[in-house]
Amino acid sequence: MNHLTEEQLIVHYYEESPQPARIAHHLRECNGCAETYAELRSELDAIEPIAAPARDAGHGEQVWRSIRNLVPIYQLKQQRLSQRFSSLKGLSFATACSLFIAVAFLAGRQWENYQRPPQNQAVADNPTRQAIVLVVLGDHLGRSERFLVALRHGDAGESTALVKAEAQDLLSANRLYRESAIKSGDPAFAAALDRLEHVLVEVANEPDDASPARLAELQKELNTDGLLFEVRVLRSHVQDEQGEQQPAAVRTLGVLI
Amino acid sequence: MEENEHSIIRAVLSGNKEAYGALVVRHSHAIFRVAFRITGDEADAEDVVQEAFLIGYQKLQSFESRAKFSTWIYRIAVNCALNMKNKRKPEAAYEIADDADASQHRTQVADTAPNPERLLLSREIEALHAGAMQKLTATERTAFVLRHMEACTTDEIAATLRIAPNAAKQAVFRAVQKLRRDLAPLKVNA
Repeated sequence: MNHLTEEQLIVHYYEESPQPARIAHHLRECNGCAETYAELRSELDAIEPIAAPARDAGHGEQVWRSIRNLVPIYQLKQQRLSQRFSSLKGLSFATACSLFIAVAFLAGRQWENYQRPPQNQAVADNPTRQAIVLVVLGDHLGRSERFLVALRHGDAGESTALVKAEAQDLLSANRLYRESAIKSGDPAFAAALDRLEHVLVEVANEPDDASPARLAELQKELNTDGLLFEVRVLRSHVQDEQGEQQPAAVRTLGVLI
Repeated sequence: MEENEHSIIRAVLSGNKEAYGALVVRHSHAIFRVAFRITGDEADAEDVVQEAFLIGYQKLQSFESRAKFSTWIYRIAVNCALNMKNKRKPEAAYEIADDADASQHRTQVADTAPNPERLLLSREIEALHAGAMQKLTATERTAFVLRHMEACTTDEIAATLRIAPNAAKQAVFRAVQKLRRDLAPLKVNA
């Protein structure tokens, strides 16, 4: 018969042995192990819990007073901003690449605008760059359209998690396009993207376990049908511009290129 | 109670900062107790309490509504105390344990009356215990405090310290071994 190890005895003392009956039986049968265990138990029993110094009834109040000026007030806006920021982390690689290309061209374009007199812009515009931006913008609007359609039929099988993830993914890109549209002085396009962003934020902030029915309800609350129509119109304009590909074009649907 | 705490947390996250004070008041004693047991120092324990509730406030958005706030803040506090303990060197005040001669502490005490001799012995035993506890590593001490004094299970210790259950078990095991070795002078002669 194998004797019990010290580790087994310690585990047994703390009542976490996987086979307590077997250990107890062994301790009844084996005097050596019983003696060792009695010694261990006696020593551990002698270690009493450390008594913490008494705190008065106002201790909690004191603690709160000491930290209350160090903490900010939570605001719903803060939550949304942080969630928007966190959604950046969720960007897929493809979206990130698209965004990078778009931002790089937008930045390049802005730099050119800064360096050149306005009258030279039309001449200097590069049709290849314009085409790329149009493709990226068209892709964003296409994805947004599919997202709104999925939301519209949210209770018809589309995974809630997928819809939510897509909203998070689209959110950051949409924000960039909206800001770009504002800078370029296209309020109509900016307003449409702003309405889209509102829907994206609401869906992205839904709990992970939101039911498809909840998404459908949200879709009704936000009345996304009108928005879907707007996005379709915008996308068709982008497609038209892609088709035209005129080198002289300066701006496209409010997005600086 | 839990539902009430969840509504308090919702209030805090909605902008009612003062509501958090109720949570601090409700849990500060328990947090101080475990902080003191781990750090062994009153001032450090007070610092841990403040730090734990501060971190708790800052991370309140990540608090999952399925969890219990008491468990959540307790775990934060244990980790704060562990970090504090890691920063501190062993206390010189407990060196008295090293001076103790094993033969002098081998005794039998039948009389429970608190006479001066017994009080002195009791203080020596207490000092020996404290000294033995101070010799443990921060993780061993924390694991032992949680297991022996806070009645946490191995899984709870592992979750709190963010280590594997087997590592938590081994930490308790090592702590018990070291304590038994250091407290051997207290063994009663048969």
